[in-house]
Amino acid sequence: MHPLERLVNLVALLLETEAPLTFEQIREKLAEGYEHQDPSSAKRMFERDKEVLRDIGVPIEVVSTDAWDVEQGYTIDKDRYYLPEIAFTPEEISALFVAARSGGDASAEDAVRKLLSGTESGILAGLGGSGLGGDVETNLSQAAEAVAGQRRVRFGYRTSKGESSERSVDAFGLAIRGGHWYLVGHDQDRGQIRSFRLSRIAGEIVSAGEGSAPPEGFRAAAHVQAGPWGPGEPRTSATVAFGPDVAWWAANGVAGAEIGSTRPDGWVEVRVPWQPGESLAAWVLSFGPDAEAIEPSELRAEVLARLEALGAR
Amino acid sequence: MPAEERHAPAKASERLRRLLVVVPYLVQHPGTPVDRAAGLFGLSDQDLLADLDLLFVSGLPPYGPGDLIDVDVQDGRIWISMADYFARPLRLSRSEALSLYVRGRALATVPGLEEAPALASALDKLAERLGPDALGELPERVDAAGGGPAVEVLGELRRAAAEHERVRVAYYAASGAETTEREIDPEEVFFAIGNWYVAAWDHRSGAERLFRADRIRSLEPAGASFEPRGLEGAGRPLYSPGRDDVAVTLRLAPGARWVAEYYETTRQLELDDGRLEVDLPAGRLEWIARVLLRLGMDAEVVTPALLKDRVRGLADVTRKRYG
Repeated sequence: MHPLERLVNLVALLLETEAPLTFEQIREKLAEGYEHQDPSSAKRMFERDKEVLRDIGVPIEVVSTDAWDVEQGYTIDKDRYYLPEIAFTPEEISALFVAARSGGDASAEDAVRKLLSGTESGILAGLGGSGLGGDVETNLSQAAEAVAGQRRVRFGYRTSKGESSERSVDAFGLAIRGGHWYLVGHDQDRGQIRSFRLSRIAGEIVSAGEGSAPPEGFRAAAHVQAGPWGPGEPRTSATVAFGPDVAWWAANGVAGAEIGSTRPDGWVEVRVPWQPGESLAAWVLSFGPDAEAIEPSELRAEVLARLEALGAR
Repeated sequence: MPAEERHAPAKASERLRRLLVVVPYLVQHPGTPVDRAAGLFGLSDQDLLADLDLLFVSGLPPYGPGDLIDVDVQDGRIWISMADYFARPLRLSRSEALSLYVRGRALATVPGLEEAPALASALDKLAERLGPDALGELPERVDAAGGGPAVEVLGELRRAAAEHERVRVAYYAASGAETTEREIDPEEVFFAIGNWYVAAWDHRSGAERLFRADRIRSLEPAGASFEPRGLEGAGRPLYSPGRDDVAVTLRLAPGARWVAEYYETTRQLELDDGRLEVDLPAGRLEWIARVLLRLGMDAEVVTPALLKDRVRGLADVTRKRYG
């Protein structure tokens, strides 16, 4: 008998049995599966099959079949086996498919496939074919697990400035910013809530026991800072003029930017959110001669100072 | 999944895992065409039929004709009966549930996504129906700290890709810091690392190009359709080395280290003074000169000398704007 056939029969048998079955009873019923082996190798084969079923998530339960615990019986708990009914619309399933494929993560795709059976047929025809690709953040699942289970975790971390150290963190939440995931939690050694970009975590995120609950009103996003490649949180605003080819793109890349008047020379003034001491001078300079900081004067002065330093190099 | 893995014979455990997912779908959708089912579940037609062949001799004791699962494949369609116990799929494993949920929340942050309302309601249903057993504390503790830039043309672009329609776009190319008109054949639109990309045939350069969708300023049908060329498209690295690449070596002070994460590098070396030395292949020097203008004194060009001149020149030209 093919191992696949034996496994399918075993699942069917244990799902449909009214009372838990002992190994001897299973062996008797699944005659061709386990019968033609000597008893000890048949038992070993059954143990391996049980492991396979557990690995793929089949909830096999072991219960005693008599009051004296002499014999153990096996069964599958239907309530834990079957996916609860969830009525998704075809649009919802399509959206989940796009999401699953955006990560290049096979287990997310497997999840959507399990959800398919309750969905109307006929409309999902366009879903076959290749995945959408994208990057795989391998430790995202580990981080999600840590947050879901409110665990304390350990991992190696390298800061954006290049300093590496071992961290011990109570996982509070996950935040995504600009396409990057961050684990936010209480850093045990620093005694503070910190955020850790997953792409800077080296190696595995290892569970180190139970963590603690986040403080009241905790929001993961509040602990994630803007990267140095864009302007930060809005407070006041600045005006920057851009060349005609560039203005639309510059305004498009900044949340809260407003396109203002067009000058006689075709240049366009754009108002962008800004706070003093922010990285806006660097951003303005990334447009080279196609951008000019207009106000405030301190921004203009900073751009000019940076240019003079570079020119004098 | 790489092609070579796909063709290796699958283990019984792997085949069982997919059968417990495919069979419920087929039980609930009688008469599903073989190719549709195979496509939905990411299998070849042959693999699916081979799995169904074994299913057909399985069932319940005493395994008489009336106890076996009935699998009927006729005219390329599949009917399964006598398998009521497989009419519903196996529950999501914890890791499946968590991966899907976080991917969904990530995609939901993308501005301009047509599926956003459907995605939001799907995620709510998942959280509600799967409950804390599968998702734990997660649904309450995932946050978006601002999505990326909105992509005005995303809907039209995805439609054009689906319908194989050539489009004319105005595109802001960072390499030349200019917006140019071109016709492209958009083959695949995908989302990666916080941005939408389109893999397309570019008629302007006569080559395959990867375009960032948010840099497309406007888009209109070019009045022609195209045959997909099977471009490498999604899944290929965002930077592909070219013959004309210039080897650029930079030294980055802490304030400029983000460059090593943001751009593809071929070598990274920690220096004793706390700086990071990187090799960063560049097809054109214009964009990298602008990056260096932004970095200011935090970055130093080691090679090529030409790039040093470029940066100094760019600083001078820009300086003139300020009188």
